[in-house]
Amino acid sequence: MSETSDILLFQVGVRIFATPVRDAIRIGSVRDVPADTLILDSSLGRPYSRERGIVVATPDEHLERTLVIDEVLGVRTILDVELRPLPPFAAACLPGGAVTGFVLLDESPMPLVDLPTVVRERLARPNPRI
Amino acid sequence: MAEPSASSRADAGSSGSTATEVWFFCLRLLGGRYAFEAHLVTEVVRLGPLTRLPAAPSFLPGVFTHRGEVLPVLDIGQLVGQPAVPIRANTRAALITCGPWKVAVVSEAVEGLVAIPRRLLEQAPGESSGVAEFLTAVGRDKQGPVAILDLPRLVEAARARAVPAGGAGS
Repeated sequence: MSETSDILLFQVGVRIFATPVRDAIRIGSVRDVPADTLILDSSLGRPYSRERGIVVATPDEHLERTLVIDEVLGVRTILDVELRPLPPFAAACLPGGAVTGFVLLDESPMPLVDLPTVVRERLARPNPRI
Repeated sequence: MAEPSASSRADAGSSGSTATEVWFFCLRLLGGRYAFEAHLVTEVVRLGPLTRLPAAPSFLPGVFTHRGEVLPVLDIGQLVGQPAVPIRANTRAALITCGPWKVAVVSEAVEGLVAIPRRLLEQAPGESSGVAEFLTAVGRDKQGPVAILDLPRLVEAARARAVPAGGAGS
């Protein structure tokens, strides 16, 4: 019997991403979140709006950061056989480690991203605009 | 025994070195005919909807699924500083395997296997820019001129350009 995983689907700009639910501490409005803990633009793109965010832990700093997104599309339980690795050529060409693989949804590959890595890479960039 | 006049590059084709013709796999790209070693091609596929990857270089326009496998698409036009190969519903790509890399080379059209007489294969002009940088020979068949690409070198160049030497580029 196949194992399952819970994934969170969310949208940034026109793109839809998936991430393991465990990577999201909580989801909510960013209205009352301190501006210096918001991440507005990351390797996933820049959201159209500034209303919702996914709170992500940064293990290195033991801090929480809120990745601003446009929309949460829901949580889905998928079979692990629907997970696909990042093709070696794509892995070799992408500048970071945010995309770890894909989830096949209706046979379309949805990028599976590692949110702590997204945050860590954004914070590591010079002059981070958070 | 190989013909003395046969170019060593012609040996890159899929037929034996004693053949008077060399087989290549030909695509239409950048308004011309480009061919490469036929044995690199495993399949020709119609591209499904592409999923774009965040922060991907322009020559990697996305990935798609083929028989359950996620495959990256390589746009040679974008790699060599030319306009992107248009991707439409009927766009086809050649699945190629170059060492550890398996990619779908997007094309304007797929011609398939072409046989080029060895005597009509000539050394490529020694240019170091654009697609000419990756040519190993130029030839001619009944359809007209065809440029022979060193596809493994091109794919490796793509990888090298995407990731700065000595790091992951992050």
